[in-house]
Amino acid sequence: MITRLTGARVFDPANGVRGEVRDLFIADGRMAAPTDRADRSYDLGGLVVMPGAIDIHSHIAGGKVNLGRLLMSEEHRDELVARGPATRSGSGVATPSIFATGYRYAALGYTAAFEPAMVPSNARATHLETADLPIIDKGAYVMLGNDELLLRLVAAGAEQERINDYVAWMMRATAALGVKTVNPGGISAFKFNARGLAIDERGPQHGVTPRQIVQMLSRAVFELGVPHPLHIHCNNLGVPGNIDTTLATIAAADGFPLHLTHAQFHSYGTEGDRHFSSAAARLAEAVNRNPSISLDVGQIMFGQTVTASGDTMAQYRNRAFASPGKWILMDIECDGGCGLVPFRYRDSNFVNALQWAIGLELFLLIEDPWRVFLTTDHPNGAPFTCYPHLIRLLMDRSFRNDCLAAIHPAAQKATTLGSIAREYTLEEIAIATRAAPARILGLAGRGQLGPGAAADITVYAEDGDRERMFAAPRHVFKAGVEIVHDGAILAAPPGATHVVRPDYDPAIEGVIGAFFEQHMSVGLGHFRLSEGELADAGLSLVAQPCRPRGRA
Amino acid sequence: MATHTIACPFCGLVCDDLGLDQDRVDVRGCAKAAAGFARRPAIVEHRIAGRAVPLDEAAAAAAKLLGGARLPLVSGLAADLAGIRGLIALADRLGAVIDRWQSSAQQANLALQQHAGALTATFGEIANRADVVLLLGADPAARQPRFFERLLRNGGALYRTAPPHVAFIGPAAAAPADPAVSERVFVAEDALLDAVGALAAIGEGQKLAATTTLPLPALSALAERLAAARYGTIVWDIAAFPAAARGAALAILLRLMRQLTRRTRCVGLPLGGEDNAQGAATAMLWQAGWPGRLSFAAGVPQHDPWGNDAERLVAAGEIDALLWVAALTAAAAPKSGVPTVAILAADAPEAAAEVEIRVGIPGIDHGGAMLRADAVVALPLTAARPSGLPSVAAAAAAILAHLPAAS
Repeated sequence: MITRLTGARVFDPANGVRGEVRDLFIADGRMAAPTDRADRSYDLGGLVVMPGAIDIHSHIAGGKVNLGRLLMSEEHRDELVARGPATRSGSGVATPSIFATGYRYAALGYTAAFEPAMVPSNARATHLETADLPIIDKGAYVMLGNDELLLRLVAAGAEQERINDYVAWMMRATAALGVKTVNPGGISAFKFNARGLAIDERGPQHGVTPRQIVQMLSRAVFELGVPHPLHIHCNNLGVPGNIDTTLATIAAADGFPLHLTHAQFHSYGTEGDRHFSSAAARLAEAVNRNPSISLDVGQIMFGQTVTASGDTMAQYRNRAFASPGKWILMDIECDGGCGLVPFRYRDSNFVNALQWAIGLELFLLIEDPWRVFLTTDHPNGAPFTCYPHLIRLLMDRSFRNDCLAAIHPAAQKATTLGSIAREYTLEEIAIATRAAPARILGLAGRGQLGPGAAADITVYAEDGDRERMFAAPRHVFKAGVEIVHDGAILAAPPGATHVVRPDYDPAIEGVIGAFFEQHMSVGLGHFRLSEGELADAGLSLVAQPCRPRGRA
Repeated sequence: MATHTIACPFCGLVCDDLGLDQDRVDVRGCAKAAAGFARRPAIVEHRIAGRAVPLDEAAAAAAKLLGGARLPLVSGLAADLAGIRGLIALADRLGAVIDRWQSSAQQANLALQQHAGALTATFGEIANRADVVLLLGADPAARQPRFFERLLRNGGALYRTAPPHVAFIGPAAAAPADPAVSERVFVAEDALLDAVGALAAIGEGQKLAATTTLPLPALSALAERLAAARYGTIVWDIAAFPAAARGAALAILLRLMRQLTRRTRCVGLPLGGEDNAQGAATAMLWQAGWPGRLSFAAGVPQHDPWGNDAERLVAAGEIDALLWVAALTAAAAPKSGVPTVAILAADAPEAAAEVEIRVGIPGIDHGGAMLRADAVVALPLTAARPSGLPSVAAAAAAILAHLPAAS
């Protein structure tokens, strides 16, 4: 069957299409070359078409999210989703149940979202959970850098090739799309009762510094040919003055690509009476100067949420700000940890207000929209349902300045936001939410509408109120099938799970196997996921290309 | 020599070092695993009112019975993860209540996490670090026969240079015999809450007046040991506490762990997880937003710890149909007085059910996955003796397929 979409203004930055009126053709779930034959036609005159949006960093599944759901019981009670003809019931906003997660993303025009913090030992449970995630494509970044075996290998002076083998083995064993490191060395250090870890500080037990971990992991990911650079949550999250750590982390990568995640939480200075200031300009300057650095912002929005992080060390510090006053901390299986702290960000609170402004400064001061990604670090800064509001803040200066005028007065004085004239264009939004995420994740045929690409398409009605426009797509197509029409979910087919499968020297398996045999509570054969079991659970895996880049 | 190692689904440890040679399982000395893997099918046909029928016919009858009820209850839930996922889907579609059977102890642990939080760790973390261990209420080996072997007497612990100091606090009759236990402090069941309170109070520096009901010197010494520990671990069996004392005991334990964490590390480990209890709670969390005690009757999930308690609903006669599911166990459906569909393992005795569907045991008849009691690690289950028996997931899907299209 061939479907034709006619008359819309198309924004397809990956193919250089910048709002021109184009007809699009869909055949067998993919974009097709123009043809005279069409079995079905949609007249989209006056509407705006973009590829389906892709969320590069969103905590949507896994053990940590389930602990978040536990803590957010009250919100779940107040936010119920009714069962529908094509849909399951659900609940929650900050930690929505898995069905509600898929439906809401789809209703916002998103066709993929990636879980950024999968602890290796939780990989099976995480993937089995995402088997229930409807509509959108998915994938996960495996958390490394606090796993005791890696730290021991680094401490013992393992060569880079060995680390590469280890990373490749772990990615395959856990069916990962990327590699994340969270507070490198810090989660392990917290288990030894350390309460902080600076970038050049030797951690307890192993004597390994975060800098060493960043160097070896960023290089491993590059040399293995994993498309997505090391996805890093730097040390000292949330600590005033942490900009120095963030800039030192960029330097530690030594030119190897790095993706700084939720950079807003890592862009703080110590100036002013309150010893808390924006360092967004300093980070933006560094990013503008270093083409190998990308980031997602982790914008905060005012209101209730829960912070969910692998960073137990930071979350233990943050417990003091828990609202409501409850929190969960968990040490995990000698390979990671997680911490859940509910937060209520307030515009009347100086720190929260300035965090809000810092995120927007980053969006507006980083010049290249291909290297800055639109996220709230769902749910840490805010639920992903805030994205339309965030898009309006970026596209509409007068609206932004109205919002700025409502926050804590001292925070207004402490930000340059009001003086920034930049407004994102529709093309830039299409880059930051579609083309660039697909490119940096190495998702072939996603985030673009060229012939052969997946027919994941979002259709918006033009509206000067960009929040209203992006909140309610007219149509959303997934793999060529219309699954959302004016907000209603028409169908909920499962999406794909994206993985990469780097190669490794099989000798590494002896090293990992011996470690598991002697120390771990699970055997190697059972730790490793099999494709058969994932298929049995209903997941369809798509392996993205991975080309080794050799020694730099 | 075993040709494979397989995981065992018969307690919350889900040990994965059992040997499988042909169809013989080396249970590594575990009595629960021995009993579990000795289970053999007795009744394999599906039945409607005692008459043997194909699965599809039984599923159609089950759909009719359950679909016509005003408030059906889905309970038992002793199934692998795929089975649980399928049963929640069925409950959602039926507008049913879904809740595990006899889960009040598990719900007490979960309620504390919901309303106050937790400080906790997984088995692998505890096995490699714990240097001072408190066992509260009961012998962990009663639930998890290899608890001591796997977590506290394990060789090769990474960050423990000597065996841990393991102390038991609880009734003498429930004291563990395991040689890993170095100290036994006897406290009657009805004084357990006081003992926990005293431990926490001493830990916070309070001076307690002498009492005859509590061994204060021993508790003081244990409070000091926890404070001096590098990685203290408190293990409790909340079912061993009087029901009315559970909430308070858990809140005090959390307070104690938080207090200790200011200066050192201390984590808690609730015992449980039998019959994939943790898998059921977690799948309900991800599919609906709460870990049990769920009703879909209003077309939305609603969590009511009292109202949606399966045992209470049956006792109060508030349901008009029951779907009972027991594959990991051979447990019979409770007497409910309402029309019943029973999805049962093939070794369970004949059921007093209108519709009986016989399924395999996950990890014996078919593969699957089960979540360990520590809620993080899911293990793959192997078909140790593959059979043609359907899985709970297949049975649930068959019933769902016979329900009229959702409106």
